[in-house]
Amino acid sequence: MSEFLALVVPMWVVFTLAAQGTILSGRTGVFNVTQEGVMALGASVGFVVAYKLESNLGGLFIAFLVGALVGLVLTVMTTQLRMDQFVVGLALFFAATGAAGLLYREVIGVTMTPPKIDTLTKYDVPLLSDLPVIGEPLFRQDYVFFFVVVLSIAMYWFMQRTGAGLDFRSVGENPKAADSLGINVNLARTWSTIVGSGLVAMAGAYFPLHFTGIYTDGMIGGRGWLVIALAFLGGWRPLYVVAGAAFFAGMDALGQKAQVIGLGIPHQFIEMLPFVATLLVMVFAFRWARQPAHLGLNYDRESRLAG
Amino acid sequence: MTTTARLEMTEVVKTFGPVRALDSVSLEVGAREVHGLLGGNGAGKTTLMNVLFGLYKADSGTVRIDGREVTITSPRDAIELGVGMVHQTFLQVDTYTVVENVVLGTPLEGGSHRAGLAAARAKIAEISERFGLDVDPDAVVEELPVGVRQRVEIIKALYRGAKVLILDEPTTNLTPQEVDALFASLRTMVAEGMSVILITHKIRETLAVCDKMTVMRDGARVQTLDRADTDAEHLAAIMVGESHGSYETPTLTEAVALGTEAPGAVVGEEHVGGFEPGVSVVGATVRNDHGVELVSGFDLEVGKGEIVGFAGVAGNGQVELAEALAGVRPLERGSITVHGSALSGKPTAQWLDGGVAYVPEDRHRDGILPTSGITENLILGSHRSARVRRRGLIDWRAARQRAAEAIDKFSIRADSPATRAGDLSGGNIQRVILARAFAHRPRLLILHNPTRGLDIGSTRFVYEQIREATAAGCSVVVISEDLDEVIAIADRVIALYQGTQAGEWASSQVDPYEIGRRMTGLGTASVGGAA
Repeated sequence: MSEFLALVVPMWVVFTLAAQGTILSGRTGVFNVTQEGVMALGASVGFVVAYKLESNLGGLFIAFLVGALVGLVLTVMTTQLRMDQFVVGLALFFAATGAAGLLYREVIGVTMTPPKIDTLTKYDVPLLSDLPVIGEPLFRQDYVFFFVVVLSIAMYWFMQRTGAGLDFRSVGENPKAADSLGINVNLARTWSTIVGSGLVAMAGAYFPLHFTGIYTDGMIGGRGWLVIALAFLGGWRPLYVVAGAAFFAGMDALGQKAQVIGLGIPHQFIEMLPFVATLLVMVFAFRWARQPAHLGLNYDRESRLAG
Repeated sequence: MTTTARLEMTEVVKTFGPVRALDSVSLEVGAREVHGLLGGNGAGKTTLMNVLFGLYKADSGTVRIDGREVTITSPRDAIELGVGMVHQTFLQVDTYTVVENVVLGTPLEGGSHRAGLAAARAKIAEISERFGLDVDPDAVVEELPVGVRQRVEIIKALYRGAKVLILDEPTTNLTPQEVDALFASLRTMVAEGMSVILITHKIRETLAVCDKMTVMRDGARVQTLDRADTDAEHLAAIMVGESHGSYETPTLTEAVALGTEAPGAVVGEEHVGGFEPGVSVVGATVRNDHGVELVSGFDLEVGKGEIVGFAGVAGNGQVELAEALAGVRPLERGSITVHGSALSGKPTAQWLDGGVAYVPEDRHRDGILPTSGITENLILGSHRSARVRRRGLIDWRAARQRAAEAIDKFSIRADSPATRAGDLSGGNIQRVILARAFAHRPRLLILHNPTRGLDIGSTRFVYEQIREATAAGCSVVVISEDLDEVIAIADRVIALYQGTQAGEWASSQVDPYEIGRRMTGLGTASVGGAA
């Protein structure tokens, strides 16, 4: 049990962080589909910077900035140039994926034994970490874990409990109404996409910085796509996303565990487990899950077609 | 005028690509004045007000408020200058409560979000009280009826301290009672020193509430008049344009629909004698998109050549009923027979062959293929018929020929038959849809808000087409939120309330206030309101 939780919790950090970044922009109507690429880029940048500067915090920070840059491109293309969000997103996914591998090969090169960095230091939560079974896996964590907890609560507070959050959410629900009341639609979409994309990249950087200490191409392994599903499952709400991420992380850990035990099933099938489970959950979740009414739709103030 | 005007717009020009939507328009509105902005579709009324509200950027022209020249580049500027606008389609966040919608974009007073909302609630209550705009501040707006949502929209403007309030076609979806209440509120506002600009195409309403009126046509101002110096006949003449040499005195039907004549004056056109049986609906039960049974056990007879009109507040099963009659929405139970052939349960192609034509309410969503040309849009539905087929394929030459004819006959303003339907204005899209419906040589014609947004000329044209169809024995069902229109063209009026018939009148015996009561679910007890 304790061992299983230890697999789940770090994956929960990844899913939660990336999904909070996704819903942040989603709530203003920007449907980000670049996760798989931006996470790979975040992993590459995070590793390279951490390796060269010998600073894990620096790696996380620069990964955030590079992710933010991708977000900036996405938002300029969609809010200023009004290009299709999905098409631009897919293009950026490919570009980011390519850039991730390129950066690593340019800086590190091809080596027999890949260079390794020290993974993040873990800290104990006083008293709680001494609890039996759950103490160690839940309350002995690195600072990214604590950051994600604070971020989730802060995002919930901002969106649901403040006037600014009310204005913020209205941009994704009815941008024309927001605009007519003096709320700057493009500004909200721009900053939420920049910050959101930065958070997604940070989630990617967590792979080398927490799990492996090395970077390999394809290490995100499709989890970026699952993040999109998670955003829908969580109804684009910060606290539901926290719960949904636990489910996704659980499925992920189950898949890993099953591989280690070796059930005599080809590992390709076991790797499918989280995706199949997701598919099943989504079939039911889509019946009740709400999404921002203008998710994925660009806003043009002078358009005569839009109602 | 001795004092400076509250609002002065001078020589405003706005172009959309090659289209000159506003051609050097000037407008002057005084304080304590309800100013009517009158004109047909495409006259530029809404465009002019969108410029004032900062939604559109004018190419040139100046705006003065209280004598001071101002620059308005966004709604935020407009709001700060005391301009508020109630749009035709409400700009509300459906999932928010009334109070949340009202405070959007404003800084909240008080220490916490909760305290701020409480303060806002109190202010809303005060506004409601003062201007007679009754709302529940904690209701979620998507659950509110249209009339209440409009009050929310007005409160939004007043909450921000508007001294110039613009209302875009505010009476379209209201019952006569609600219109009266709205006008009373507007009079209270101007009595307190505000200015109100009322965009409308209904002459009777303008005369009822406005102090002054400006008539627009083809993106230009025609004339500004005092209420005292004009009458309905005069205004109608200016709106249509005597200068075009095409103005004829409207027929009674048109006059009632346009609101220059009181309803009930249609007696002369009453159909004498019965109709041959045509369309018969028995026990029709229909569910809406969410699986809720909205129309239950509906019976309806429409004779050959008869026009039955449905009056009702939007959301009372109109869409479901129209779609069921058109064969687009399956019947849960019941049957529909059109001129002898039972159609219920048959595929849509057979409905089309059976002569059922449908003009849907939502033009963009259900009426056209926006990225296809006019030609493609016109042959939709009849693309299987021999008229446009050759050797098993579509005969595009014949189709283009038909499109060109329709463009000519229905005076669709487009460069060519290849023009994309989505690039047309709302009025022209409606003409395309109508051209398609009438080309079917229909036996049952279902029209949902057929003339919404059309100018006088187009409205008259639509009525002529309907009359032509009925003369050929077509049964017509008109569903409209415009009560005047229903009364004017129908032989029989049925009030619709929550998917049931809440009353039925011969068109010669209608009392609009009684219909208004019935379509809002009030009983038969007459309160004695006279038309």
